[in-house]
Amino acid sequence: MGDPFDLAAGWLQEYVLLPILYQFGLMNWEDVTYNWALVALYGVAQVVVTFAVCLPLERWRPVERWPDSNAVWVDVLYTVLSRVGVLPLVTYVLFYHTQVVVTGWMADQGWVSPTLEGIFPILLGQQVVTFILYAIVLDFADYGRHWLAHQFRWWWALHALHHAQRQMTFWSDDRNHILDDVIAFLWFGAIALLIGVPPLQFPLLVLVLRFLESLSHANVRLSFGWLGDRLLISPRFHRAHHGIRAAGDTSCNYGAVLPWWDLLFGTADFTRDYVRTGDPSAEEALATGTYLQQQIAGLRRFIGTFRRRPVRHGM
Amino acid sequence: MRRLTVLLFLSFVTASFATAARAGGIAFIINSRGPSVSIVDMTTQKEVRRIPALREPHHLMLTPDHASLMIGDTAGNQMLFVDPNTGAVQKRVPISDPYQFAFSPNDKFLVVNGLARNQVDVYDAATMKLIKRFPVVATPSHLAYSPDSSTVFVSLQDSDKLVAFDLNTMTEKWTVPVGKTPAGVLWLNGTVLVADMGTDHLAQVDPATGKVIATIQTGRGAHNLFLSPDHKILWVNNREGGTTAAVDATTLKLIRSYAIPGGPDDMDFAPDGKIWITRRFAESVAVLDPATGKFETIEVGRSPHGLFLNPKAPSPAVVSLR
Repeated sequence: MGDPFDLAAGWLQEYVLLPILYQFGLMNWEDVTYNWALVALYGVAQVVVTFAVCLPLERWRPVERWPDSNAVWVDVLYTVLSRVGVLPLVTYVLFYHTQVVVTGWMADQGWVSPTLEGIFPILLGQQVVTFILYAIVLDFADYGRHWLAHQFRWWWALHALHHAQRQMTFWSDDRNHILDDVIAFLWFGAIALLIGVPPLQFPLLVLVLRFLESLSHANVRLSFGWLGDRLLISPRFHRAHHGIRAAGDTSCNYGAVLPWWDLLFGTADFTRDYVRTGDPSAEEALATGTYLQQQIAGLRRFIGTFRRRPVRHGM
Repeated sequence: MRRLTVLLFLSFVTASFATAARAGGIAFIINSRGPSVSIVDMTTQKEVRRIPALREPHHLMLTPDHASLMIGDTAGNQMLFVDPNTGAVQKRVPISDPYQFAFSPNDKFLVVNGLARNQVDVYDAATMKLIKRFPVVATPSHLAYSPDSSTVFVSLQDSDKLVAFDLNTMTEKWTVPVGKTPAGVLWLNGTVLVADMGTDHLAQVDPATGKVIATIQTGRGAHNLFLSPDHKILWVNNREGGTTAAVDATTLKLIRSYAIPGGPDDMDFAPDGKIWITRRFAESVAVLDPATGKFETIEVGRSPHGLFLNPKAPSPAVVSLR
């Protein structure tokens, strides 16, 4: 039995996308649409699985109950755009082509671009083990990126959008300013090039990681226990990072999937227990505005940091 | 008349292969998204094992001495050399973006299309030293040589063009528009045939000038073309239409079209007369019986692309798994 996602993407490509491309004289895009079909299907699966697991959890043991959840809908939009829509396509195309150019240039110089499998040939063909190692390295890189986003005023001005949500749910993982996303893309692109992360090689495992990231934002009283919270980031642990007293450079718990880096660098805080979320210093538009209003407010705030106007930097 | 042609074609196919037993040997199928190479027992038509690749292999070719099967890993920037009789990995060599590649008929050159990097590289086949890099406007995909090895023709898939390089002077001869999305290229009877994926036909091109002198209708999304071992039938895979067309190699008239859904791409010919075709979107290979028009499928890995049949290889049952 083949990979059901691959086969479904193939069906979509053959019976929906190719006829459209052919009709409009765009057959030179066929590789791109085929890859997008796969990424988008995995994105849909991510959303469905996350929804199916997190929603019952949030109903079962919510940390907070709100009279209305209107502010959550914009997070739903962020999620769909980020995981199913055009963003995965752009990311894939940009990343793929950058990787091809850089690694190709290196091959011209007579050596293969560094890869974990190149350093440890025993990993060749061991996809799960290789992925876990890549995931650990990338998670560490993300810890560094996230910590820096809280340290620089201009970067925090963008990242505050992610923290402004007072009704944090599993949908909130993808609410980011588009410039913050671009920086993250460049950051991961550089790291991935350095260690040779293969695009589209591990889509199923990426799905699992993205699910864990969404779960960590869920509005649910859920801890993995003393040991579990030190192995994998739980909603309780990550909620402390989003606490109203933890906005800006006073935050803690920067990790995305593994809490190891917070433990290693002394930024872990296991004492904050299901705190309220949000950034009291953020404009209201960042918290409850529409997608466009949030993006504009974030951009204004970002520009403001270069005009030497005071930008409140957390509490 | 058309019916008569089809009957003659079928009787030819049946007569040619009626006594042939089911093929033996092993087949190599490249799983581009795997990334891996499936080794398939041609007798049982079952996958035996997979050779891991680094990132994204696409095409493969025998070395002139038949000692190695070269497998190009584009995003991995590697050429994988394996034993064509056993599948044992011989070596992995760094090389820039090896997508489609082929040795010249005189075995002097190895031309490598770097599809992602918009480059056509000419290597000395004996030493594997890069002789010349031709930058091109867009995505060089398929290639074919003139029989005297003086010229290589390369389709530029994301443009409408075919380019010809003079291998004696290492200069570009011409670049001309030949269709919407040119893909497969083949030298046939003094002309160059180019499959145009953006249309339903092949372009027949004058190799001296690049001028399109005729078009041959084959099916929607004509992608790749192959000459049968006896040089009588031209086989064309049509990507969008999901068909494989049989064209008379002499008259260039369409004889018959076979439904091969799943994005037909590369093909190879088995001694029993059947044609193995990779199905890019279906994780399988179709084994087509041209006499009946029916096909069996063999499950392989993700996005199967290049394939190579070695019917003379020993039974995979005795092949070491390491």
